[in-house]
Amino acid sequence: MTGSVWVVLPLACLGSGAVVVALVGRLLARLVPRLAPARNGLLALLTALVFGASLLASLPLLALAPRGAFVGLKWGSQGPGGASLRADPGALIVIVVALALGLIVAVYSGRYLALDRRYDAYYPLLLLLVAGLAGMVLAADLFNLYMFCELMSVAAYALVAFRRRTDTAIEAGFKYLIMGSVGSAILLMGISFVYRSTGSLDLPEVRAARGSISAMASVWGRAGLACLLVGLAIKSAFVPLHTWLPDAHGRAPSSVSALLSGIIIQSAFYALLKASLSLGFPARSLGTGLILLSLLDMTLGNVLALAQTHTKRLLAYSTIAQTGYMMFGVGVGLRYDLPAAVQAGFFLLVAHAAMKGLAFLCKGVCHFYCDSFTIGQLRGTARDLPLVAVAFSVALGGLAGVPPLAGFAGKWFIAAQVVRPADALVYAGLAIVVLNGLLSLGYYLPLIGILYTPPAEGQGSGRRVHVSAWMAVPLAVLGGLVLAIGFYPGPWLGWMAHVGPYLLMLGDRVPAG
Amino acid sequence: MDLVRASRLHTMWLLIVPGAPLAAALVLILVRSLAPRVASAARLAGWIAGFAAVLSLAGILALLPALEGGDVPSFNLEWIPAAGVQFSLRFDWLGLPFLVTQAGVTLLAVIYAWGYHHADERTPFFYAFLMLFAVGMSGTILAGDVFVFYVFWELMLVASCTLIAVWGEGERRGAVALKYFIFTHLGSLLVLVGLILLYSATGSASFAALQAGAGLDSGLVQMAAALLIVGFCVKMAVFPLHLWLPDAHTVAPMPVTIMLAAAMLSMGAYGILRFPLSILTAAQMAPFAVPMMVAGIVSELYGALMALAEQDIKRIIAYSSVSQMGYVLFGLGTLTYSGIAGATLHVVYHAIVKALLFMCIGLVIRATGRRRITELGGLGKAMPLAAVCASVGALAISGAPPFCIFASEWMIFAGGFHTPYVGLSALSLFGSLLTVGYALWFAGRLFFAGPTEAALPALPARFRSPWAMAGPTAFLAVLALVEGLFPAPIFHWVVAELASILGGNW
Repeated sequence: MTGSVWVVLPLACLGSGAVVVALVGRLLARLVPRLAPARNGLLALLTALVFGASLLASLPLLALAPRGAFVGLKWGSQGPGGASLRADPGALIVIVVALALGLIVAVYSGRYLALDRRYDAYYPLLLLLVAGLAGMVLAADLFNLYMFCELMSVAAYALVAFRRRTDTAIEAGFKYLIMGSVGSAILLMGISFVYRSTGSLDLPEVRAARGSISAMASVWGRAGLACLLVGLAIKSAFVPLHTWLPDAHGRAPSSVSALLSGIIIQSAFYALLKASLSLGFPARSLGTGLILLSLLDMTLGNVLALAQTHTKRLLAYSTIAQTGYMMFGVGVGLRYDLPAAVQAGFFLLVAHAAMKGLAFLCKGVCHFYCDSFTIGQLRGTARDLPLVAVAFSVALGGLAGVPPLAGFAGKWFIAAQVVRPADALVYAGLAIVVLNGLLSLGYYLPLIGILYTPPAEGQGSGRRVHVSAWMAVPLAVLGGLVLAIGFYPGPWLGWMAHVGPYLLMLGDRVPAG
Repeated sequence: MDLVRASRLHTMWLLIVPGAPLAAALVLILVRSLAPRVASAARLAGWIAGFAAVLSLAGILALLPALEGGDVPSFNLEWIPAAGVQFSLRFDWLGLPFLVTQAGVTLLAVIYAWGYHHADERTPFFYAFLMLFAVGMSGTILAGDVFVFYVFWELMLVASCTLIAVWGEGERRGAVALKYFIFTHLGSLLVLVGLILLYSATGSASFAALQAGAGLDSGLVQMAAALLIVGFCVKMAVFPLHLWLPDAHTVAPMPVTIMLAAAMLSMGAYGILRFPLSILTAAQMAPFAVPMMVAGIVSELYGALMALAEQDIKRIIAYSSVSQMGYVLFGLGTLTYSGIAGATLHVVYHAIVKALLFMCIGLVIRATGRRRITELGGLGKAMPLAAVCASVGALAISGAPPFCIFASEWMIFAGGFHTPYVGLSALSLFGSLLTVGYALWFAGRLFFAGPTEAALPALPARFRSPWAMAGPTAFLAVLALVEGLFPAPIFHWVVAELASILGGNW
């Protein structure tokens, strides 16, 4: 084993935590069959503790990998059979966001899961989901990448279909399972082609380390890269491979949707970037492809969202559109060698995680107390759940890009960076981004308005509902985060400063300015 | 007073101008818990808002001596170093007329709201959003940095949209608010792209740097200027980008309409003055002159014709705003000293007269409960004060001396005749003719003609309007006369503005 052991610490924490929480859950169910809310609360606290411990465990990584350096760990034989992990700047950002969001969701589930009751299955799955995510972005060889990606996906399938008494949830989970498995199979096929071509499973980060062997050198390698890209694209819900997402995110419990929309999709996107660039896919082509796909993503996501009447499906399509904005920023950065554009794209990733997480959690509160599914049923939220209405408005306003919230800062930074190469493609792209911003208002604004509309006759309980602290505190924390990122984006932006240079280095490019 | 103390005092006043309404808005959101009974909460809210508006206006007047002394009060704070963005506020001659207009209109609108707005448990929020609207406008004018400018610009939009959506009159207020937001946001996005183009070309977001970097790549600067002008024209409600205005002004509650028409429309003019006109040279602006003049003329004529055709009294005056903003755009498009000075003066004087007209309409609506001009008439006997004020307003907006708008329209037309496009300038005079038509018809029909077929509601022989509504109306009528007779102070400001800001290029 060479390298620093600290890299595996968050993973170990999450994995062992999952086992412990599962055992404790079973034990409690056996010993204390009644008192379900207390059991739920205890498991939630335990899960939150595990997430917190993992966050602490990743602190040494942040300390050891300052200023863009990375920490690696290799075990097994040094040859193709070895496995390695590597904590690079982008991976650290994704992991910290995932752990923080996981912590918030765990606390929130302490009360929200009273609707569902299968606690002992839920919390370990949550931990395994984030463990898979962490492993996937940390992976420095294709075997680990595939293994952790599968772990994340299987946990996600189970969580999406969690409400197994309802047909729609089963259907959504099944659709996700089928499409996700197809993606994994294509990914595996791609990995095997790449292995045949290069003779190694490593994802090297310095071109010199792999000598002149690049996956692009042979036909098998190129086919392998293509399959790898498609497989991970299915996981990241690139249009037109996105069709599983509205169902899956729309039918999962709101706490799970928050995680899925907030960080899971984006982590698969990061894995795609890292894997393809390391294997020699030209950054310029990747950038161009991302730009074109992102324009498709945004437009389709926004147009389809306009037609939705079910709140969570609308938010799911909004995720597709917002991921499109991120892809646009990253794509421009890769194509024109602009690390600042990549930085802006990742800033939007973090801001979006906070805003989308907040939106889904608020929707969950409305569902929990007022049984609302469709947008029309959200009427009267301002009267029954006033603070939740305010938090929901903050989240939606941020997603719409209203200053001074987090989403506006993200869009400003991306726009400011993409105009730097004075190219027809970026100007056309910017025009489409602007139009999409306008389109998205068409569904965000009515949603905000409906929250403050008085309810129809006979709707709603007519009295102020007291929101449990389990759910109120996460909402407050995320709301505060959205406001903080919006009012003072400097430190957050600075945190992302090294992702751009790192990705460009992977792609063997020299950053311009 | 030594320099250090003076500048600290100036910074304090500078921060008070947008800060007082902001603090008031935050306090007002909490006021409900302090004064649980509805009536007292509403009154307390009104006083807090009024006090903040007075403070804001006082701050501007307190900073006048600094401007006279050649100083430029400013405030800078590092905000996002990674993106080169600073939170900076800057008070210079260019902003002065607009800022005074905005603060004055806010104060008068708040006083008017004391009498107009029906008190209920949401009144503190109403005043809070009025204050946020005022913060948005004053922050836009005071902004010294592109990012800060845009943030306050959007705040203006969000606050006014909320006011229309929640407190608007009629069932269609939600739809109208949505249309208003989307339309105006489109303009804001065009402005945003233009600003980002300028920002990325010069590498810095502060206005001083933008002005200094005037020697930029010409194609890029022209494209940015085109985007900025179109975006600001949406805000100014120039035909054909005016579609949001009639509905928004009609549905909004009267104090909000007053602020929208008198203060917010001129933000577009401020934007055009601040960005393209200050940054580009005369030669670079030349391609835009004719389009701006033509758009101005079309707006004038269209607005006036539609005002003649409308039946709802609020809509008549709303279309009148479209027409008057056409004059302003025409004046800016002439690119002459006289035209631009006239346009700025027109912004100030139009604010006075438009607020006056809307306040008179509010008095009529309060008294009779009706809004269609076919159902009203002969109110002069019962409401003499309103009759006099409306007559003053109608004469003023037609451009009759000795009222204020005569001077500004004269300068705009003179500016037009200084350009080679004499034909266009002659066309612009027709707008004046149509304005006389609808203005005198409006005032005459409401107050001086005999009663119509529809029976009037039983009015007492003399109707007493609340002093909170009548007072500002009378004040504005007197001001219109005074400004017409003694235009020197404001004229001096406008001249100083042009000399210092546009001096180098013009």
